[in-house]
Amino acid sequence: MSQLFQVGVGSGGILILDSLLRDPRITHYTIVDPDIYKPHNVHRHLFPTSCVGRLKVDLAADWIHQHRPEIKVNALPLDLLAPESQSRISNEVAACDLGLCAVDAERAKYHFDALLRKHHKPWTLGEVLSGGIGGWAHRFVPTGPCYGCVASFLQREVKEAETAPPSNYTNPVPQTAEESIPASKASIAAIAALHANVTLEILDKAIPPTPLSLLLTLKQVPGVFEAAYRTHRFAIPRSSTCLLCSEVTKPIPEESLDEALDHALARLGRE
Amino acid sequence: MSAIVVDMGLLDTELGKRRLLTIEIPAIEKYNDGRDPEFRISATRVGLSLVLRYDLKPMHNIYRLETRLLSSYPSVPPDTRILSPMKHCPHLLEGQTLCLWRQGSVRATSRWDPSKFTAVFAVQAAWRWLACYEIWHETGEWPLPEAK
Repeated sequence: MSQLFQVGVGSGGILILDSLLRDPRITHYTIVDPDIYKPHNVHRHLFPTSCVGRLKVDLAADWIHQHRPEIKVNALPLDLLAPESQSRISNEVAACDLGLCAVDAERAKYHFDALLRKHHKPWTLGEVLSGGIGGWAHRFVPTGPCYGCVASFLQREVKEAETAPPSNYTNPVPQTAEESIPASKASIAAIAALHANVTLEILDKAIPPTPLSLLLTLKQVPGVFEAAYRTHRFAIPRSSTCLLCSEVTKPIPEESLDEALDHALARLGRE
Repeated sequence: MSAIVVDMGLLDTELGKRRLLTIEIPAIEKYNDGRDPEFRISATRVGLSLVLRYDLKPMHNIYRLETRLLSSYPSVPPDTRILSPMKHCPHLLEGQTLCLWRQGSVRATSRWDPSKFTAVFAVQAAWRWLACYEIWHETGEWPLPEAK
C-alpha cells in the first residue's frame, strides 16, 4: 500500500504516471498541475484533441480510473509555488510515501526538494534535455544530497527569470526568448521510463532507497555526448556546506520566526 | 513537461524566513562587522522583497548600489543595480542593472549557485564589476576578456 505525490502531468509526467499506476502496490495517487490541456499538447501527450480545454489533472485522474478504478486519486489543479496552495500541498506531502517531480522550472525543483525534505520523504526527478538528446533520472532521500547539492555538483545555471531573454553585449535588451528545442515523444518516453523505474525501486521497501543520478544519452552530439545510448551513473555527495540542506547552527522555533526576523531587520534597517 | 513559475515567499514562508535568519542576515552582519558605517549594508522590506542598500569604493569613486532579493530568492539570483549616475557602458543593462548572472554568459563566476552563495556574494560581485568599470572607463578595455 503506497501513496504517491506527483507534480506535473505534462508530456513526461503522464507517461511516468501511466507506468506507475500499473503497480499493484500503489493505492493512492495525488496529482498536482494547474495547466489546461492545449492543442499544442496533443502531438506529444496521451490524450486526443477532444480533450483540449480540460484540466490535465482531471485527464490524468480519468486515466488512472480507467486502468485501476480502486486507486484513490486526489487531482489538484494547483500551482506548486503559489502561496495559497502551500497548506494543502504540505498536507498531501505529509501523507505520501514518496514524491515525483516532473516539472521543468528550476525554482519548482528547489521548492519540491525543500517540501519533501521537510517531511522526510524520498522523491525522484526526471529531466529531458533540450532537443531530446538525453535525460536524467534522479533519486533523492532525506539524508542524502538535496537538489541544490546536485545542481551545484552538475554546475547548473540558475537563470534570473525562467522566461528571461538571453543577454547579449551587442544587444543588451533583446526581444526574443532563448530557444529550447522540443524533445520528441520517443525521447520523452525513454526518460520517463527510466524515471519510473528509479521510482519503483523505492517501493521495494526491503531495500532502503539510496540517492542516485543517472544520465542516459539518446543522441550523439559532438562536444556533448560521444555516443548515443550510454548511461552514466553519478555518485553525488551531500555537501557539508550546502546552504540549502546543511544543519543550521541555531534552530529557531517556528512561532518565533517573525519576531526574530523583525529584530534582525531592525538591526540592519539603518540608512 | 509543464513549467510552473509563480512567486514564492522569501519573507512570507517558514523556509524563506529561516534562510534569512540563519544564513543571509548573519552573513550581512559579518560583512558589516568592523566596517566604516557609511560602507555597511542596510536592509529593508519592500513588499515581498528584501532590498539591500550600500556604498562601494572599488578604486577611486564611491558608488551607491541596491541589491534586491526577490520573493523567489535564493532559487532566483539577486538583482543588483547602481543608483549613482553612470556613463553608458555595454556591460550595464537597462535601469543600470549589473550584468552578473545573465543567461548567455559562459563564465563560471556568472553561474548563481543557491547552495553556495549568499547575498554578500552578490555585493562582492558588484565590487568586482565596479573595479572593471573604472578600468574600462580609463582604458576603454573591459579587463575580463571572457566577459565580452
